[in-house]
Amino acid sequence: MSNKLIVSTSPHLHKKESVSKIMWLVVVSLIPAGVAGVFIFGLRALWVILLGVISALITEAALELFTKRKVTLLDGSAVLTGLLLAYNLPPNVPFWLPIVGSFFAIAIGKQVFGGLGQNIFNPALVGRVFLMASWPKYMTSFTRALNYDAITSATPLALLKEGRVLENISYLDLFLGKRGGCIGEVCILALFLGALFLLFKGYISWHIPVTYVFTTGIMTYIFGQKGLFSGDWLFHILSGGLILGAFFMATDYVTSPLTRKGQFIFAVGCGLLTAIIRLWGGYPEGVSYAILMMNGATPIIDRFTKSRIYGTK
Amino acid sequence: MKRYLQEFLKGIIKENPTFVLALGLCPTLAVSVTVINGIGMGLAATFVLLGSNVIISLIKNIIPDRIRIPCFIVVIATFVTINELVMKAYSPVLDRALGIYVPLIVVNCIVLGRAEAYAQKQSVLNSLFDGLGMGVGFTLALILISAIREFLGAGTILGHNLIKGFEPVFVLGMPSGALLLIGLLLGFFNVLKNRRA
Amino acid sequence: MDAAQFLTIFISAVFIYNVILSRFLGLCSFIAISKETRPALAMSLSVMFVTTMSSIITWLIYRFLLIPFNLTYLRTISFILVIATFVQFVEMVLRKISPPMYRFFGIYLPLITVNCAVLGVAVLNVDMFFVGSKAIAGSFYYSVFQGICVGLGYTLAMLLMSGIRERLDLCNVPKAVKEFPLAFIIASIMSLSFLGFNGFRF
Repeated sequence: MSNKLIVSTSPHLHKKESVSKIMWLVVVSLIPAGVAGVFIFGLRALWVILLGVISALITEAALELFTKRKVTLLDGSAVLTGLLLAYNLPPNVPFWLPIVGSFFAIAIGKQVFGGLGQNIFNPALVGRVFLMASWPKYMTSFTRALNYDAITSATPLALLKEGRVLENISYLDLFLGKRGGCIGEVCILALFLGALFLLFKGYISWHIPVTYVFTTGIMTYIFGQKGLFSGDWLFHILSGGLILGAFFMATDYVTSPLTRKGQFIFAVGCGLLTAIIRLWGGYPEGVSYAILMMNGATPIIDRFTKSRIYGTK
Repeated sequence: MKRYLQEFLKGIIKENPTFVLALGLCPTLAVSVTVINGIGMGLAATFVLLGSNVIISLIKNIIPDRIRIPCFIVVIATFVTINELVMKAYSPVLDRALGIYVPLIVVNCIVLGRAEAYAQKQSVLNSLFDGLGMGVGFTLALILISAIREFLGAGTILGHNLIKGFEPVFVLGMPSGALLLIGLLLGFFNVLKNRRA
Repeated sequence: MDAAQFLTIFISAVFIYNVILSRFLGLCSFIAISKETRPALAMSLSVMFVTTMSSIITWLIYRFLLIPFNLTYLRTISFILVIATFVQFVEMVLRKISPPMYRFFGIYLPLITVNCAVLGVAVLNVDMFFVGSKAIAGSFYYSVFQGICVGLGYTLAMLLMSGIRERLDLCNVPKAVKEFPLAFIIASIMSLSFLGFNGFRF
């Protein structure tokens, strides 16, 4: 990374930290969420996480050796991808699922584009969406929280989509993670701990996540129930993968726009799409698809929002 | 005779319309969900290719150059319509499965491409074998792609389950999987080409 | 004729069954012309214009010529001739009234004749909005609207793809997947992301 000429718009801020250090710090900031996930869903979740990470590492090493490129395992990005993919999986998936998912995420989501910094789409989400399309029945079967016998249960958002009344679930339950869902998305408290760390240290900025969450909140408030302006926006913000997606995946430098204006458009787009899919689409959760679609739009957003270079037309 | 064999064979490997010339990809990706559909489309396209190549080669000296494309299209459309009617009558199931891609053979780049690049310049017999070769090459490419998609994506071949307990990769039956597969196959053939160079 | 049907047509044509990413119509031009944004935009607008106009003309021909005279089997021939003629006509008009614009479009214009999307949407309109030999209520408006939406879906896919490919031009991708293979893989991921709109109900 040190010898490349980096093309970017002004302001040209140079942080002391390298890309690698940031990656590892994001990994560290995600650990609380993982610990919470294992606590809530049992040791099986730990296996899923480990398999996801190891598979990502092996895939990256193998592909880089095969194409005679530098092996970049130590930069932390493969670990981050594997971790994020595992966090996006239900805890009771068959063991081969995180292995295949991580392989696809690294191989197709990242290496095919030329490796770190060149991917257009968030690799973990590419893996997740691939798994969702390939083995939907495994990706939509969840277990009850704090019940290590792995009794299946539906997630709050799934219940909402089916129109079933939600019983016995309070906002505090949602915040702490006492609900069915994916390993890394359920414990909002743990996610906030990590996110606040990253925010205070300046490794991510608040603009994208806050705008994203805010937009989804507004949309679900206005359109959430029959009759306008009566939606349960707090429920929506605390459910599903919104917090995980908004703070840890939509903020990825590589796959989001360069300028503030572009980032705003990006975040609003993510928020709108998430809300639209949740409210009117066939799936109960839309965060992965929303972010991926906006990842795809990022280059064209950049193209139309790039600030003018001084002296040119 | 050897000359004609060469014309025929080039359409299968060296100038395979799908993998080398990258023509006619629209129907290839759309219908290659099952092997039966792939074979059906391949045969239909071969019929049209044969007919149009031969007729165009026959009348190539009568067509004024300025309106040659519309003339080609009329000839091709005639054969496509014949094919459409025959399919609707004798294999309605296949016709429904292939859907709008049956009439779309008329804008299949392979057919128009061969007419423009070959049939209007070459003799009738050459055009016949070229059309046959291209059609067979196209069909073989279709069979390859749909075999992969059907086997990995649905666990069946020609409708029969092969391996028990195999979790099929559903995405391969979807458009996304088709695009992915063709991308990977093209990349694979690129690697082979680079190795040979 | 109801509003929900129009919304469904829009969501279907642009997102769920996107003409390029899902139906694969216009794939050749998509892969070939999506390398840069300006040509991509030019091609998209021309395609949208042609799909809209040909939806109108082919519908009229089907309804008032082919059905009354029991010639529906001539659908393919008549539709493609109409399209080819129309594109030729547009070319001639453009060359007359605005030579710079004509030069700008260059070879793209005649290429639209063989763009599967154009004939495809004409055939789709007939399949979807005619039952037997009768037009369903609102058939004409649905057909025209679908023509517009197919153009919009084409434009969306082209714009996104051209932005991505322009960005990737600055990167060093593995040699094996340069150009076409990577374009297909990108299209595959785009198609995956559009799956989010499945099962849309308003």
